[in-house]
Amino acid sequence: MALEAFTPSQPLTLGVELELQLVDTHDFDLTPRAEDLLRELAGHSGAWDVKPEITRSMIEIGTSIQRSFVPLRDELHDLRTQMSRAARKLNIAISGGGTHAYQHWSAQRIFPTERFHYISELYGYLAKQFTVFGQHVHVGVPNGDEALWLLHALSRYVPHFIALAASSPYVQGEDTGFQSARLNSVFAFPLSGRAPFVLTWEGFGQFFDKMTSTGVVQSMKDFYWDIRPKPEFGTIELRVCDTPLQVDKAAALACYLQSLCRHLREERPFEPAEDDYLVYTFNRFQACRFGLDGEIVDPKTKQRSKLRDDIIRTLARIEPHALDLQALDACNLIRESLTEGNDAAWLRALRRPQVPMPAVVEAAAARWMRS
Amino acid sequence: MPPVAQQIADWFGTVLRGPLAGLRGADPVLGLALMVLAALVVASVLNRRLRLPRLLGYLLVGALASPALLDVLERTDLDPWKPLIDLAVAALVFELGTRLRPRWLLDNPWLAASSVLEAAAAAGAVGFALMMLGAPAASAAAAAALAAATSPVITMAAFLEARPRGQVAERLLMLSAINSVLAVLAIKLWPVLAQGVSAADSLALLASAGAVIFGSVLVGLAAGMLLDRLALLHEDLATMPVLQLALVILAALLAIAWGLSPFMTLLVAGMTARSRMRHRLTVEPYLGSAGAALTVMLFVSFGVLSTITDLFNLLPWVLAIIVARLLGKGLAIFATARPSGLSWRQAGALTLALQPMSSLSVLLVADSFGWRTQLPGADGNVIQALLVATTLMQLTGPLWTLLPLKYVVREADETQN
Repeated sequence: MALEAFTPSQPLTLGVELELQLVDTHDFDLTPRAEDLLRELAGHSGAWDVKPEITRSMIEIGTSIQRSFVPLRDELHDLRTQMSRAARKLNIAISGGGTHAYQHWSAQRIFPTERFHYISELYGYLAKQFTVFGQHVHVGVPNGDEALWLLHALSRYVPHFIALAASSPYVQGEDTGFQSARLNSVFAFPLSGRAPFVLTWEGFGQFFDKMTSTGVVQSMKDFYWDIRPKPEFGTIELRVCDTPLQVDKAAALACYLQSLCRHLREERPFEPAEDDYLVYTFNRFQACRFGLDGEIVDPKTKQRSKLRDDIIRTLARIEPHALDLQALDACNLIRESLTEGNDAAWLRALRRPQVPMPAVVEAAAARWMRS
Repeated sequence: MPPVAQQIADWFGTVLRGPLAGLRGADPVLGLALMVLAALVVASVLNRRLRLPRLLGYLLVGALASPALLDVLERTDLDPWKPLIDLAVAALVFELGTRLRPRWLLDNPWLAASSVLEAAAAAGAVGFALMMLGAPAASAAAAAALAAATSPVITMAAFLEARPRGQVAERLLMLSAINSVLAVLAIKLWPVLAQGVSAADSLALLASAGAVIFGSVLVGLAAGMLLDRLALLHEDLATMPVLQLALVILAALLAIAWGLSPFMTLLVAGMTARSRMRHRLTVEPYLGSAGAALTVMLFVSFGVLSTITDLFNLLPWVLAIIVARLLGKGLAIFATARPSGLSWRQAGALTLALQPMSSLSVLLVADSFGWRTQLPGADGNVIQALLVATTLMQLTGPLWTLLPLKYVVREADETQN
């Protein structure tokens, strides 16, 4: 199977996908109700999309193509309102967060579609352990070459998004010590990590042909890279964010990425290089483990700095672009979260000795549903 | 009785009853204890070999020992055990209350409508069918009221056995609680219809029913709040089942002493405790291992209470009750399925799962296991037909509940029981 042609799309358009948790209102464990919720939302009035995910306790929503912060946020508000209403009708709750705090992977059931069964057979228990919840942001690019350039240029900023969106400190009932433990589940997949350093669509096609000839992959969907090109949409897709606990944060993260992409495209502050990836895994670990307090190494200057400080400097650099994209409110939200802390910190603050884990999940669900 | 049936009955009498005659003279307490042991063994074998619910095994052993079959135990033999059996029922009802979220009825008004409609439709269909077959109106109404209820005990015990997760299982709990409450109220109001009381007496009866509701809710609220306060003093999780059992006994005894509905009281106590304590309330299945032992005894007792006397003579009425009830509940559930958020398959599963019948609404207010004392003046044949129908739908109850949950909507793990 050859790599499909890259469909051109309008630069810097946005699309947001959120994987969400369906939880029981009694014990706040995950509950396999995706089919019920999908049926209930079949006639929704928005331009957004809702579809199943790999296990029946998950659901994925996708916004329509957006250009700026306010319409994106408004669409996410509408989506949240309609989904919450449907969920209440079915006596379930919906929550953000990168992991469910105490679900047991073996209790999860695979959603009955051909692809999910294929993944389940191929990856075995990893498929059920993939009951983790991420935010994916698509950014429109005009051609495949530019998509690959932008993908590699963004690699330096991947820790920003991990740290800002981190909302998965708990796994299987334990505090992992990580701010984003979700990405540890993703790393278990053999085709996760970073994309190969190829800067032309033609070169990427050759890499894809080699991979398909090995039989290891069948389509672009088999790559679980942190950022991957999406030729059928004409976008690059950032996949490292945990699903935030609030939709406003999800919109803000998307527009922070949009402003950053505009800054990179128009100012070309550096050229991506293979050696940028020397520090990539270290930086990513720092962001997952310590969040905004992590230390990262600049791949060009080799200087160490706090992630929080690096984000502050980046926000200052991209401000003119945010202004042009009407994304200043989004950047302000990001700036505020640097002082308030990310969602992982919010979840940890809830967990005092007398507070049982279900109470934490209930609070997270209430935060997402605004109930 | 037809000759073939008579021959079968005689065969039981000569071949099986004879060797067991010695057991009938034994101490009834010892007798039931032996029954419980036998039930555990039979349930385990049925569960391992045929993957049948354990509850079914308990019921079958009780039914085999009942006067209707081997006559090892008399119904009156259960009277010394009644406080413990009541406690088992009470524990399950309290636990049911802790699982209910009344807010759901506000979030989904069609569910509220569905719950009232299915009870009313089942009662209406049973009442109509019995009257068509010549039953006196007042007695048909009593049978109809009792037939509206789904056994909350079988529902809750089956729920604990299979641990289903899904829309049908949750609605089943909610609907069985509501239709049982409606049945309790209908029985309280039944004398108005049955005895043709005067307007003044009718008002008094209505006031009395109102007092029962108000009083039950009040005692339930108080019990739930007391549990909340006491739990704050005892943070040790190990003491929680003990506290809960003590509160359940207290609430049930007060309700009985004051002529209230223990069922409603315990249901409200469970709901109040959940609402106030939230995640601090951990409820062990059956309120712990003691409750689990009592539940086995409860289901054996349900089996012992089986009656099929006059089954053949009353067969048209028995069938009318079972079929009309199925149709009434099914019609209401399917009519409200889509607006309330159910698929057709789920509606079918829920209809089937609602079929186990309940003797609970009468049992919990009775001093003994006699039904007739609760419905003075009711036609004996109608009540007997109702008892036989209840026996059949109680003995097969775990299958009605669990098979749809496992195989129709797959909300329970098929490999589990």
